[in-house]
Amino acid sequence: MDVFLQTIVAGVLKGGLYALIGIGMTLIMGVMGIINLAHGQLMMLAMYVTFVLSTMGVDPYIALFIAMPLLFLLGVAIQKFLLNPLIKADTILPENQVLMTVGIGMVVTEIVRFIFTSDYKSVTTTYSERTFFLGNISFSVALTIAFAIALAFTGAMFWFLLKTDLGRSIRATAQDKDAATLMGVNTGRITVITFGLGSGLVAAAGCLLAPVYYVFPDLGGPFTAKAFIITILGGLGSTVGAIFGGVTLGLAESLGATYFGMEFEDIVGLTIFILVLLFLPGGFKRLTKV
Amino acid sequence: MKGKVGKAFVVAVAAMAIMMTGSAWSAETIKVGVLLPLTGSQAKFGEIEKRSYEMAAEEINAKGGVRGMKIELRFEDDTGKPDVGRSAVEKLISRDKVPVLTGGYSSSVTLAATPVAQQFKVPFVISTGSDDAITEKKYDYIFRINPPASEYPNAVKTFLQGVAKDVKTVALLYENSAFGQSSSKSFEKDCGELGLKILVKEGYQAGAIDFKPVLTKVKAANPDMIYMVSYVMDASLLMRQSKELRINPKLFVGGGAGFTLPEFAKSAGAAADGVYSATLWLETLPFPGAKAYFDKFQKKYGSETEYHGAEAYAAMQVVADALKRAKSLTPKDIRDALAATNVKTVFGPVKFISYGKMTQQNKLDTYMVQWQKGELEAVWPKSVATKKYIYPTPNWDKRK
Repeated sequence: MDVFLQTIVAGVLKGGLYALIGIGMTLIMGVMGIINLAHGQLMMLAMYVTFVLSTMGVDPYIALFIAMPLLFLLGVAIQKFLLNPLIKADTILPENQVLMTVGIGMVVTEIVRFIFTSDYKSVTTTYSERTFFLGNISFSVALTIAFAIALAFTGAMFWFLLKTDLGRSIRATAQDKDAATLMGVNTGRITVITFGLGSGLVAAAGCLLAPVYYVFPDLGGPFTAKAFIITILGGLGSTVGAIFGGVTLGLAESLGATYFGMEFEDIVGLTIFILVLLFLPGGFKRLTKV
Repeated sequence: MKGKVGKAFVVAVAAMAIMMTGSAWSAETIKVGVLLPLTGSQAKFGEIEKRSYEMAAEEINAKGGVRGMKIELRFEDDTGKPDVGRSAVEKLISRDKVPVLTGGYSSSVTLAATPVAQQFKVPFVISTGSDDAITEKKYDYIFRINPPASEYPNAVKTFLQGVAKDVKTVALLYENSAFGQSSSKSFEKDCGELGLKILVKEGYQAGAIDFKPVLTKVKAANPDMIYMVSYVMDASLLMRQSKELRINPKLFVGGGAGFTLPEFAKSAGAAADGVYSATLWLETLPFPGAKAYFDKFQKKYGSETEYHGAEAYAAMQVVADALKRAKSLTPKDIRDALAATNVKTVFGPVKFISYGKMTQQNKLDTYMVQWQKGELEAVWPKSVATKKYIYPTPNWDKRK
């Protein structure tokens, strides 16, 4: 029983972090209709920001408030100067924006490798390996905090999208860009802000992941793939779906690791991905209707 | 008068021509192809090896090179992927026309790249790829300096027989790769010989965030020893999370690869303390130039080297030695010279012999080290020990 409970706890905690990684991508996907394949690389960048700040004695949770705005600005710049010009050119298909994000991801990775070399860096804090026990079940302090913050961010995001003018404009753009433009929404500006928000959210995930994981330039790719799976699981463009997607992936990986063997961790995730595509093509969004 | 000037002119031209051809001749280099992961997740080790190759080649060239020619290293990046490794070797052989190859970091890449070298009949001196199968294919152009993965835990075996006699049960965790599977399989066999019972045996995907599901199983099984075959950051997370879950075996042992690197201790922090690891090399071993190599590397690059670097440096020594002795610089003659190798390197004596199923394999001892207060100390065998082993490892709760 302890093994089962510990597996569930580990899966849910990891899932919270996954959700935060997925939300940024799902937001960008919803508004612009493109998959940002540099998503993991942006997270990697935020982790390096955290690492550099931690060498100066700044705690990762404080670094969060520096990395998020930084990545927000970077996201804004990427959308404004690299992606939007591609929309304006008539002959170019929207897929070219996706290709552009692949290129951005590669450039970011190699620049980071140039500056920091390929060495593994780790951000160790006093609470990196601290745990508390409930009965026989151990909770990693860092992951529990990450889970709480991830939930808080998701809640804030949900509120922002539902209740604020800007949030409504974003949702309007996501639902029907042409209609939104006709209603007076500056959709160009909305896409820029959305990409910034997406980048900022994944930056938060990076800062929360830093104390429990490690960072190296090639870290982006696998996390882009994870974010993609979560986005599909949750339903494209759905924030609540992203939470379900994240936690489902986390749980599936943990349960798969315990009961099938950890070498199948990725296979379990991808199998669920395919099953969802086959039997629930809209993702969990179809079930929640939000 | 005119004739004299003419004659002098001819002589001068002739002299210049000789000088020019002379200089052209001495500028000719011997190309050595090196296959390493220079980007990708294994780039860290690729870099250590690349620097070691470069350092060794520079030293050889500073002493006049080989046969009056300088050694020119041609690096190719395998990015850690077998298919890329294959085409990199093809490129080195057909475009760069290298007469000899070396390097070969990961087992999967090396396994894919060696058949190409064999097919083109260009000798390949492997420095690191350790899957047993690499030298079990009776390829006569493939040589290996490092011991095969199955021999990595030899020192662990003698330690279990000599010191940790009360260890009866084992949990075995390994990275799900050619290296990890090969190492774990051979360790399983060793456990059989030693009469140890394997309670948990789990592979995992490298780069995982959370090892707790597997470690929870290990904890429930409560083994006397945990044996892990992992690269550096997985190793660090495994130890950190073992500490989180308060798993208390009598000893934690790393089966080579990640557990000896400074990054492991840096990242794992206090969780690294007391961890044993099998290793292939230490700078304190009594091999000529070992300590000098270690110190020079540190001075030159401002970072530390370890056994992978020593393997690369030794591979360069072996290749240079063979090039010196070869009848000519054709791949065939270099192969014959390599087969007759008998040389002392920083990594230990190198001689390519056949034993077991393996051919052209170098046979070396392995050692056991332990992290004590943030320092990596040699603890086994006693003849090379720098500190006494701490056994059993103290419980997490009783540590400060």
